[in-house]
Amino acid sequence: MIELDKITGNVIEKLQGAGADKAHCTASTSVTREFNVDGGQFSLMRTLFDNSLSLTGITEGKKGSVGINRFDDAAVDQAVADCMASAVSAEPDSAWDLAPDGEVHSFTQGVLTADVDRLFDRTAELLEQIGKKYPKIMVEQMIVSHVRSHSVYRNTNGACYTKDAGYYNVDLMFSAHEGQAASSFFGTGVITDNLDRPFMELGSIEKDLADVEKQIHTKTVGEKFTGVMLLPPGCLGSFLGDIADNFASDGPVLEGTSIWKDKLGEQVADPKITVSFAPGDPQVVCGQSYTAEGFLAQDFDFIQEGKLSSFLVGLYVSNKTGVPRAKNAGGSMVMRPGDRSVEEIIASIDKGILVGRFSGGQPSTNGDFSGVAKNSFLIENGKITHAVSETMISGNLADMLQNVEAISRERVADGYSVLPYAAFNGITVSGK
Amino acid sequence: MLKDILTKRKGDFAPGVHTELRAQVNKTRGVSFLSGSLTTNVRSQVSGVSARVYKNGVYGFSSTAEYDDDAVAAVLSAATDNAVFMDKRAGKKSSPLPDVAKGQTLREISDNDPVQKDYIDFAGALDAYIEKSCPGLTGRGVSIRADSMEKLLCVSQGHDAHVILPRCYVYLRLTADTPAGVPVELFVPVGGMGTFDTIFSDPALLYPKVDELYEKLMQKREGIYPSAGEKTCIISGELTGMLAHEAVGHTVEADLVLGGSVAAHNLGKMVASPLVTMVDYAHTCLGTPTPLPVYVDDEGTPARDAVLIQDGMLTGYMNSRQTAQHFGMEPTGNARAYLFSDEPLIRMRNTAIVPGSSKLEDMIASVEDGYYFIDTNNGQADTTGEFMFGVCMGYEIKNGKLGRALLDTTISGVAFEMLKTVDMVGDTISWSSSGFCGKKQPMPVGLGGPAIRCKITVGGR
Repeated sequence: MIELDKITGNVIEKLQGAGADKAHCTASTSVTREFNVDGGQFSLMRTLFDNSLSLTGITEGKKGSVGINRFDDAAVDQAVADCMASAVSAEPDSAWDLAPDGEVHSFTQGVLTADVDRLFDRTAELLEQIGKKYPKIMVEQMIVSHVRSHSVYRNTNGACYTKDAGYYNVDLMFSAHEGQAASSFFGTGVITDNLDRPFMELGSIEKDLADVEKQIHTKTVGEKFTGVMLLPPGCLGSFLGDIADNFASDGPVLEGTSIWKDKLGEQVADPKITVSFAPGDPQVVCGQSYTAEGFLAQDFDFIQEGKLSSFLVGLYVSNKTGVPRAKNAGGSMVMRPGDRSVEEIIASIDKGILVGRFSGGQPSTNGDFSGVAKNSFLIENGKITHAVSETMISGNLADMLQNVEAISRERVADGYSVLPYAAFNGITVSGK
Repeated sequence: MLKDILTKRKGDFAPGVHTELRAQVNKTRGVSFLSGSLTTNVRSQVSGVSARVYKNGVYGFSSTAEYDDDAVAAVLSAATDNAVFMDKRAGKKSSPLPDVAKGQTLREISDNDPVQKDYIDFAGALDAYIEKSCPGLTGRGVSIRADSMEKLLCVSQGHDAHVILPRCYVYLRLTADTPAGVPVELFVPVGGMGTFDTIFSDPALLYPKVDELYEKLMQKREGIYPSAGEKTCIISGELTGMLAHEAVGHTVEADLVLGGSVAAHNLGKMVASPLVTMVDYAHTCLGTPTPLPVYVDDEGTPARDAVLIQDGMLTGYMNSRQTAQHFGMEPTGNARAYLFSDEPLIRMRNTAIVPGSSKLEDMIASVEDGYYFIDTNNGQADTTGEFMFGVCMGYEIKNGKLGRALLDTTISGVAFEMLKTVDMVGDTISWSSSGFCGKKQPMPVGLGGPAIRCKITVGGR
């Protein structure tokens, strides 16, 4: 067993000896066991043994960072020298800092020992079930793995966090085929800490397979219209991620380009919207335990009943701008459910589109977005009528949040996040 | 430089199976200034050794971050065990992989490693120039990223190799508000293959790039949204390269063909105008080196060009040894891995539409009412060939003349339909190579092409 505790202690000492007045480092080891399926057939088994050592030194406000994957003395000494040479070359900036009060904690999460045979069996079972229940589905690629990691974090303010974690991961990419007709590809997946249930029952895997089978034959939407966009949990997560990046993350807050820069505590969304970043949620698997600056990760509300409750900035941008720092580094998104079923929401939509996947670029700084609605269905008079192709959707992220039609009471927990369906009005939909 | 401790292990390779041993070092150096603040100042290096063993149609793989005799023995043993497990549980009784030419490939070009101060000073000088000479900006970014891959490869059959591929880019980003207060942004990468010190000698040499970007941004902030709908357009070589890579290239990667891509049903059929020829170049294009040359892949196959579309007809796929055997084609040397801990996957190298004979000015003059789309900031495509590209710079064309600049828009279509509308192909190829292709692993790739005239769906607003 590599003594990461000792390694991190040595690294901090060496950084201080080389002139760092503040420093932090993380050392970790991991073992990954993985099966790959390509074109519907098993293709590869991998076993990966990896190391990681990241170190940061700050001297007189000047910061440098280095990452390597070796622990031997020569590699560590070189990394410390490179780190401090980088720091000395930097511009001084008093905003670089660490969590002030160091604590000592140990964390254990998930399943630490891989059951490789059972992992193979669950994977084979999923392939077999797909073949029987969804025969038009072609599994382009499936990657299932167990990752076991052991890590130690230390900083010069006395923080020492030891973490042992293990989880199973399933990633599935597929499309549906009938003769030469084919759907768009679609990706789904879960992270889980047990193999108790068939993979088909986890996250939204079965629902996604069933939906894609209905997307082989498509039509365009005809005339351009403005209507409701219903987002399933996976696609909703992508949109919420774009909203967080565009309006609340380090870059736009530091540059002052965020349109929400003066909106902390103010209404930026419909009161039905409450979104949190909650690594401590019981349905999140192996969530973050601490931040790189040495703070213990805590759950926090990003938007609470429509009000901007926190930006998503780290300590550096907080110190630069005066905006309070976020209580974790993001991820593990959890959204409060609504009070209507998905079925009721669809029944209430006169004209709209259910967007399974959005293929578009990074939205503009002001939140304007446009792109192609993939894996999507037209909704007319309260019913899903047909799958669509070559259909563009456009709107504005900030406006979307103010035009919430409904949020579902059903939520999907895939281990990464816990999200409902959500319907937004005012979206422009146009065909070819 | 990696010391060769692999060749002597050839005697340990199991008989009757194909074995690859690969030692690798990936280095990255990064610096970013965000509106004057140095927000990124980082160096990283990851290294290790991996083994992959092919047995009866399935593979076993293992890697470790160490690099010594014990580590090599350990990954060989674990990869063999994994191949045996897979053969027992899911073996396909396939034939052995096809043989390729034997030999050795050595491309040990310079891998200089400048100190971090050189990157910081260079980026800082550019940032200071932008601040001084570009009034009215609301944001600016200057980043430098250098990365390199050194690989030492030893295979049971094929080419052993020692290759290094360094590249370095400066990324410039400028942001301003339109008169209506809407932020607009432009971005340009500058650089290519080589180390920082061999590509960038003086920041002042990039000031004209800053000036050009600023001028375009000032035009864009006064720009208009294009009208939505299908239009006759000229798309630049940069966009043609994106089309070649995203909308066509991925569909003709043989593993994605096996996964059901649109190319599965189109081999030997006309999928484009007869003016269109498309090639995934290995290392040389039209007599000059490609942006990111590949001489041998990570299965030990000497790399050769993969002709994908010839005069409008789909003629081939990009193959690994295993898929070449499946399709009865020749391996093209497309199996590449990003890190020591990654297995080779079928990846593009330098994918381009081949230039034709038209002059850009004649192409623009031929359009009565359309657009000239120049720069892209993103692109996505489907295995059906349906694509969507973000366009961040362009102009309207009215009566054969360039008009007002355009605000951000999107273009979209279905590749094998849109390529049939191509009726003019420019005579000059433009390459870009600053990004990563994503497909389980990232991978540096080159993409290129000439300007083309075609009908394409414009997103408008």
